[in-house]
Amino acid sequence: MIVAALVLLASPLGAKGYVAIPAGTYQVGKADRLDTPVRKVTLKAFEIAVYETTNREFKQFVDAAHYVTDAERLHNAMVFAPPLKEFTWLQDKTANWRYPNGKKRGGIEKLMDHPVTSISYRDALAYCTWAGVRLPTLDEWEVACRAGTTTDTFFGDDLTKIGKYANVWHGRDHLRADTSDGYMTTAPVGSFAPSPNGLYDMYGNVFEFCSGHLKSDKSDRTVHARGGSWWCSLNSCCFFNSIDIGKVDMRASFSNQGFRVARDVKSR
Amino acid sequence: MRKLFSICIVLSIVTAGFAQDQAAPAASQASEKYREYRNQITEPKYGLAKVKKLIKAIKPDGEDNVIMANKTYNALSVEEKFTYNALHGEVFSQNCDVMPPMVDEEKKIFGHIPGNFGDEEQWSERQLAFFKKYRSKVVSLLRETMTGQKHVGLNLKHIAIEIQAYELIPDMIKIYGQKHYDQDILTVLMDLMHQGKYGPFMKSQSCEKLFGDASNYRSFIVANPENQALVIERATAYYKTKRR
Repeated sequence: MIVAALVLLASPLGAKGYVAIPAGTYQVGKADRLDTPVRKVTLKAFEIAVYETTNREFKQFVDAAHYVTDAERLHNAMVFAPPLKEFTWLQDKTANWRYPNGKKRGGIEKLMDHPVTSISYRDALAYCTWAGVRLPTLDEWEVACRAGTTTDTFFGDDLTKIGKYANVWHGRDHLRADTSDGYMTTAPVGSFAPSPNGLYDMYGNVFEFCSGHLKSDKSDRTVHARGGSWWCSLNSCCFFNSIDIGKVDMRASFSNQGFRVARDVKSR
Repeated sequence: MRKLFSICIVLSIVTAGFAQDQAAPAASQASEKYREYRNQITEPKYGLAKVKKLIKAIKPDGEDNVIMANKTYNALSVEEKFTYNALHGEVFSQNCDVMPPMVDEEKKIFGHIPGNFGDEEQWSERQLAFFKKYRSKVVSLLRETMTGQKHVGLNLKHIAIEIQAYELIPDMIKIYGQKHYDQDILTVLMDLMHQGKYGPFMKSQSCEKLFGDASNYRSFIVANPENQALVIERATAYYKTKRR
């Protein structure tokens, strides 16, 4: 048995806090996975953000640093507009973090508490550098997400309970819009139940970029994100779990792709 | 940098420890080898050297460009466009894999084939329009390529599914019969039957397991001789209904 002390740092008015993950050796992975078999990893202590990074936070960065995202520069963002076949997205030259699914589908003016999306891995790294934080590693993300559990999710192996904890896609396919949980795409961060250690939206809402590589990576352009997104469904990409790791080009921007930050624990 | 006014709440949790701890099962060599095989592509011969050179040229610095200029693309022959589109996806694929690597894939017949182009690229609207516009020609180029090389690469499987190329069922069955190794050929046959809403397949247990409401992209049936024979038998019957 492992007893872990978690320190939840939260400001009274709901500003972003962090959950502290103590140093230790943790179990990660799953038996039937080639890339991520069951194994133990040893981590230094770190802290991980309670919430995904929001449009409001990303705007502060852009305004302060006059940063231009990859999608704004390359006009290569991929958007979702049903009806679409499974795993199919559309390229939209007008899409970027300000207009996650393209200009004609509206901006983020009323979505400032939603996670920032349509940003690339490089954009996420730029934010982290500006904010003095970093992305969690693949293993750190999993350890934080598991909160000591060894099941597929922190609430067990029954994925049909996902709706309580995550903004995901409940439709049978992506041929028609699904707003059955109140949101077709992103939701305000923290809208669903938290993990046992107080982290929100670890599953669903947006995929969260992590640092690190897998042995199967074929290119140094390949980066990874975890946790599933509003797009993911039980019948297609059911990545809303503690195990699966996706891969994407470091320049790609999707409206279901965002990030959550982490930081090293300073000596106190 | 922002300063957070934080309060500290110390929580203690008791983890489940390593209740399910086990030594990581090393994936068998057969699994690793088969995973590689599943992702192999078949290179069409039509203007191959020229097209490869052009693809290399649109990624000069490994940076941003993945789309061939319209002028260059339009100057290609239909055969060369086929090669280009078979080898290269012009837009990015999303983060989640169609099918993450799993152990014992060689023992399974899945309902879906792995994502194309390493799950990191997909075809653009221009490329999909090409397959549709030149469907008959694409079918014949697919046939010539797969029978000539005795291999149905992942890229060819995706094209066959995209254009519902039922005409290639006998060719694929023949290639499958040579080794009985590439279970994804059977996956393509079932996908074609599913897209064609072929009655006997739609009513089958296989269909329910692979495409039913409880299915996902990792659903599979066991790759035993009985299931293999059944898929081929149904696909052959389906092909005959289409040829009438």
